[in-house]
Amino acid sequence: MTEARPCDNLLKAAFPTILQGDTICGESSHFQVPKDLLPTITRYLHTQPNLRGRLTLIWACDHRPVRDTYGLHYLFTLDASHHWVVLSCELAGNDRRFPSITPHVHAAKWYEREIRDMFGLIPEGHPDLRRLVRHDHWPKGTHPLRKDFPWNRVLGRQQGAYHFRRIEGEGVFEVPVGPIHAGIIESGHFRFSVAGEPIMQLELRLFWKHRGVEKLFEEQTLIGAVPLAERVSGDTTVGHSLAYCQAVETLLDLQVPRRAKYLRALFLELERLYNHLGDIGAMCNDTAYALAHAHCGRMKERIMQLNDRLTGSRFLRGVIRVGGVTRDIENRQLTNLVDELNRIQQDFSEVGAIIFANASLTDRLETTGVLDEQTAWDHAVMGVVGRASGMDCDLRRDRPFAAYDELPVNVALYRYGDVRARLRVRGDEIHESIRLIREIRSKIPDGPVAIEPSCSPNPGDWTLSAVEGWRGEILYMVMAGEDGRIHRCKVRDPSFVNWPAIQWTVPGNIIPDFPLINKSFNLSYAGNDL
Amino acid sequence: MLQAVILVVAQVMVLLAVSPFLVGLIRKVKARLQLRRGASVFQPYADLAKLFQKQPVISTTASWVFTATPYIVFASTLSAGLLVPTFISQTPMNFAGNIIALVYLLALGTFFLILAGLDAGSAFGGMGSSREAIVASLTEPAMILSIFAIALTNGSTSLSTIVQKTALLEGAVADPSPHLMALAALFIVALAETGRVPVDNPATHLELTMIHEAMVLEYSGRYLALLEWAAGLKLAVFLSLIANIFAPWGIATTPAPAAMMVGFLIYLVKIAVLAVVIGIIECMFAKLRLFRVTDLLGVAFILGLLGLLFFYILRS
Repeated sequence: MTEARPCDNLLKAAFPTILQGDTICGESSHFQVPKDLLPTITRYLHTQPNLRGRLTLIWACDHRPVRDTYGLHYLFTLDASHHWVVLSCELAGNDRRFPSITPHVHAAKWYEREIRDMFGLIPEGHPDLRRLVRHDHWPKGTHPLRKDFPWNRVLGRQQGAYHFRRIEGEGVFEVPVGPIHAGIIESGHFRFSVAGEPIMQLELRLFWKHRGVEKLFEEQTLIGAVPLAERVSGDTTVGHSLAYCQAVETLLDLQVPRRAKYLRALFLELERLYNHLGDIGAMCNDTAYALAHAHCGRMKERIMQLNDRLTGSRFLRGVIRVGGVTRDIENRQLTNLVDELNRIQQDFSEVGAIIFANASLTDRLETTGVLDEQTAWDHAVMGVVGRASGMDCDLRRDRPFAAYDELPVNVALYRYGDVRARLRVRGDEIHESIRLIREIRSKIPDGPVAIEPSCSPNPGDWTLSAVEGWRGEILYMVMAGEDGRIHRCKVRDPSFVNWPAIQWTVPGNIIPDFPLINKSFNLSYAGNDL
Repeated sequence: MLQAVILVVAQVMVLLAVSPFLVGLIRKVKARLQLRRGASVFQPYADLAKLFQKQPVISTTASWVFTATPYIVFASTLSAGLLVPTFISQTPMNFAGNIIALVYLLALGTFFLILAGLDAGSAFGGMGSSREAIVASLTEPAMILSIFAIALTNGSTSLSTIVQKTALLEGAVADPSPHLMALAALFIVALAETGRVPVDNPATHLELTMIHEAMVLEYSGRYLALLEWAAGLKLAVFLSLIANIFAPWGIATTPAPAAMMVGFLIYLVKIAVLAVVIGIIECMFAKLRLFRVTDLLGVAFILGLLGLLFFYILRS
């Protein structure tokens, strides 16, 4: 039994009716709460100066095959201690309503709409109950994550229209962009209200490519679902598969060998490297500074070729498995890798110096698309975008996973929240990733790289797992079902959290600067649409 | 008479033949500076040939303006080209118009392009048109002023006379400062008018940032081919103008075959050098924020004005 933590005592003192639940993941508190108290408790957790809980995830679960309830779970990360607090409540029988916490905790707004669409549970008091995931042509009463909804059901179409927020007035007009774009971009619709060039409002419409990922997980076994996790967002293969595997390993009570943990950190950093290099180049390209784009593209390609040589996959597919990694990297290969990365780092330093010394480029990047600290906090923004707006969080340091308990990370932090800050965070993280890989090379122990799972978990056991991918925190909640299958898997890519925040960065900017702002966020559509 | 006809035909052929090459050359220079091999400099010819064979698709909301515009733009740009000396200082259409006609022939094409951008009824066309209107209204005074500075120093608004005088060093080029001011102004105007970085980015796929490309976004097939060719022609017109006003040396001053041959080769070298310079500039700078374009064109205007003032100061 671990010692009672100060946050638990605070909560229990404020709400004596709360019961101490089971502790999951070693470092989190779990409380069962009555649903009527949800808004009060979450508000206290969110605003109490000693707690300052950041809403990290809300997920629902259909327990009906076993017992006649729906489960609702709220995960908060406390600001100072990075401690996790999970609040759970159950909706019994025919109860389909739960109180919305969005009026107090702004970051809950998309989660609650998602739960309404996928489970048909109604968040009462939610200020915006338009459909989010279910587009308006989905037939009424379609809630795919309910257990009585077969995964392969073919849906009919109905007529329906989505009502965008409108601004009306003389000289105000709407510019619709997407979901089909001129370049190779995923599907997203952007509705601008503009007065001349300056943007007054932007509204996003995403979820065009709903693939039913969470439903598909429920058709898989715990061990066999890794390829699916790899494909949630193609550019975050390692991040997603690692987060998934960690959750399964907790359920199976597997101790991953230390060498495998180091290799996992190595792959995660390689993924961060190639994506950050690509992003910096793409941001420069959006300002028509094609020179930097070409050089960053060249370096990204070198990293991807390194990936290919090390693992046989440019996107690092098939390297993470439950229990470890699928292939060992010889120490000689690691030394070659570090030599190559040292050369790339030198190269990148030169390109970086050119980028940051270019006055015309700096003029485009500075003060463009500012996400201020308060807005970032209200949306619980994370990852690269959060760290550019003063949100000092990085799971590699705050809740170490893989080998990061032995690999201290220097977190890049900027406060201005403009496009340039987001560029700088990426630049700093490239240097830091290469430094980490050098450290991995010098510290990596010998030994096996995988362990075979031996037992299967009890049906209904669930756990949370978090990984700092290159975009930000990737969260997986995996609940075991019968016979080593998955009962429920909640996937949360950082894009789902960061997308709404982008709407708050554009007002006051001009339309031709939007692609640059969007690129500086570079969020995943696939990881968001699921 | 026959000679004049031959000259007209020769000038038309030269401009039509050279303009895709200039576009290809700029792209090649950019590619090489980015460590890419890049497409062949003759790729734009193949693109034009391909586009001419394709069936055009026309928006149902489009009126006659949409289909007439490519022809108007192409014809007006080509006519403007006939007023600019290329390899021989006698322009074929010298009798028909001077430097001011040139400015407004180009403006005619721009005007119709703006209308066509609005005509197709897409959100992007309208944005491109409004931006082009800003740019065009600011480049026009800058261009007129810089051209006046040169016209005054040479005592004529006829481009043939200006080029002839400068080539033979007849005009009092005692102090070149009005010329240098006008050169800088005209160069900025050329970048803006032909839609190059830092004003516009001809290589972008981002509709929201486009100016010229947004206006022609709805065009396809032969209409697009004509507009692309016209854009290349406009580039050739501006480069010829800059090359021959400010460095006319080597140009044929009499219609003798040998002189014309030499003049043609030297002309090719001059505009190729200018195209390379544009390619290098495109690699050195990011595109300006839209509202900073006005600052840049303001600078061009001031430079043109200074050129004019210097002329009066130097004369007195």
